[in-house]
Amino acid sequence: AAMRSRAEVDATLQTAKLNPAELLPAVHCLSFGPQAGGGECCLLQLEPGLCAELEAGRSLVIRGEKDEHAVLCSKDKTYDMKIADTSNMLLFVPGCKTPEELNADPASCNIIHSQIAGFSKNYWELRRCRPKLKKLRKLLMEDPYEGPDSQKDQTSTFSKYTTEDLLSLIQASEEEILHQLQVIDACKIEGYWRILDFDYEMKLLNHVTQLIDSESWSLSKVPLCACLEELGSLEPREMIEHILLSYGRKYVDDAGEVFFEMREDKICRAIAQMLLQNAVKFNLSEFEEVWQQSVPEGMKTRLDQLQGLALVDKSSRPETIFLLKVEDLPEDNQERFNSLFGIRQKWTEVDITPYIQDLCAEKQTVGALLTKYARSSMLNGVKVYNSRRPIS
Amino acid sequence: MVQIVISSGGTGTLAQWLLVELQGEVEPRQSGDLAGNLLGDLHYTCEGIPVLIVGHHILYGKVVQLEKPFAVLVKQGGAPQSSPMEPHSHYTVTALIKTKLLFKTRPKPIITHVPRKV
Repeated sequence: AAMRSRAEVDATLQTAKLNPAELLPAVHCLSFGPQAGGGECCLLQLEPGLCAELEAGRSLVIRGEKDEHAVLCSKDKTYDMKIADTSNMLLFVPGCKTPEELNADPASCNIIHSQIAGFSKNYWELRRCRPKLKKLRKLLMEDPYEGPDSQKDQTSTFSKYTTEDLLSLIQASEEEILHQLQVIDACKIEGYWRILDFDYEMKLLNHVTQLIDSESWSLSKVPLCACLEELGSLEPREMIEHILLSYGRKYVDDAGEVFFEMREDKICRAIAQMLLQNAVKFNLSEFEEVWQQSVPEGMKTRLDQLQGLALVDKSSRPETIFLLKVEDLPEDNQERFNSLFGIRQKWTEVDITPYIQDLCAEKQTVGALLTKYARSSMLNGVKVYNSRRPIS
Repeated sequence: MVQIVISSGGTGTLAQWLLVELQGEVEPRQSGDLAGNLLGDLHYTCEGIPVLIVGHHILYGKVVQLEKPFAVLVKQGGAPQSSPMEPHSHYTVTALIKTKLLFKTRPKPIITHVPRKV
């Protein structure tokens, strides 16, 4: 189409009965560019922070299997993606100026011929979501590391996973994946991320706690060097250091020596798991006695150390306790609640919180989740929550 | 799993485009593609109100700073219009859109000179 002239523009203004004196001098003559209908352009609505990421030259990545909902990942965040339909036409126009820009540039041309690059009735919308990290543990649990003496590693046919492998299999950002690897005490062995087999992990922990006991070290001042020296003949040095890092807080004293402050809660919790995994349930008071006797000298066991690991049944006589690990439960909100209500019909908020805490979105509270997925009632003067739907 | 990268191609600062939001459909006067056709004239009043003359209509709108900007993505490789999960595709961020011209009011028809009946 021929480009419009000033005379044509002015004629149109006259026909439209618009007063040129009330308008800025510049006009944009909009036409559809040659590629406009091609459908090659689309719009992505950016959540706060993503615009700055793109402007800084960083990339975003869409991840997902063909049958999964796609997610979009920045360096450190994950977003659900979906198409938002508007009933309006959205035209995207390069080189089109706002009134401020026109006023700021006195030399702006009288006629600006702008070509519409594309148009759409929809755009991709993002919503920040929890990274889908359950798969990470599942992958690493395919082949837990049982120690250098294990025959398994040599003959193992299971895949082992590098960081790159994990990035291509898990719907999460790199930082979220690396953070989770730290949370689950994974370690890199020969370039692959591994999780320790629980029995092997307890064996390592036991070496350390026995050494602390025999050397009469303070639990808050366990020397790295001495551990490596004394235990180096029993286990690989990397594994000794790994167990200290997992169950202790590393620090350096004024002389530059490395020490660990052992983490009482985490050690007591691990020993509880070791005891509980051997039976369906235990008499609570018997368990508490054995548990206290099993932990290192100087450590005190408390039931609140077992949140998200074990559940006490106060309705049975005598009271019992059984293993229930939050990481074994479904990742999806509705499925998680279905599973929990299948285990126990009515929950108090105190009991259920450790099992739903991880479902909370960025600014969501446990209370909000309970309002959405459960129904409350009073039982013996205590507020309890049960399923909104009948459980078969 | 499919991984599709969205990047700006590192070619310097990103272009800033404008979004024009219109109600309803835009159809070509003659049949065929919109490509190459004129849409209309966009003016601004001295107060900064956008005025769009499209065919026989005048549309009054407003300038809106977008709370959530848009990125304009162009697909590289693969067929256009297919699902976002197609392998071997990569999107380039061509431009960012931080401002839109929203035309929400009913278009005012332009009454052209009607010849008097004799």
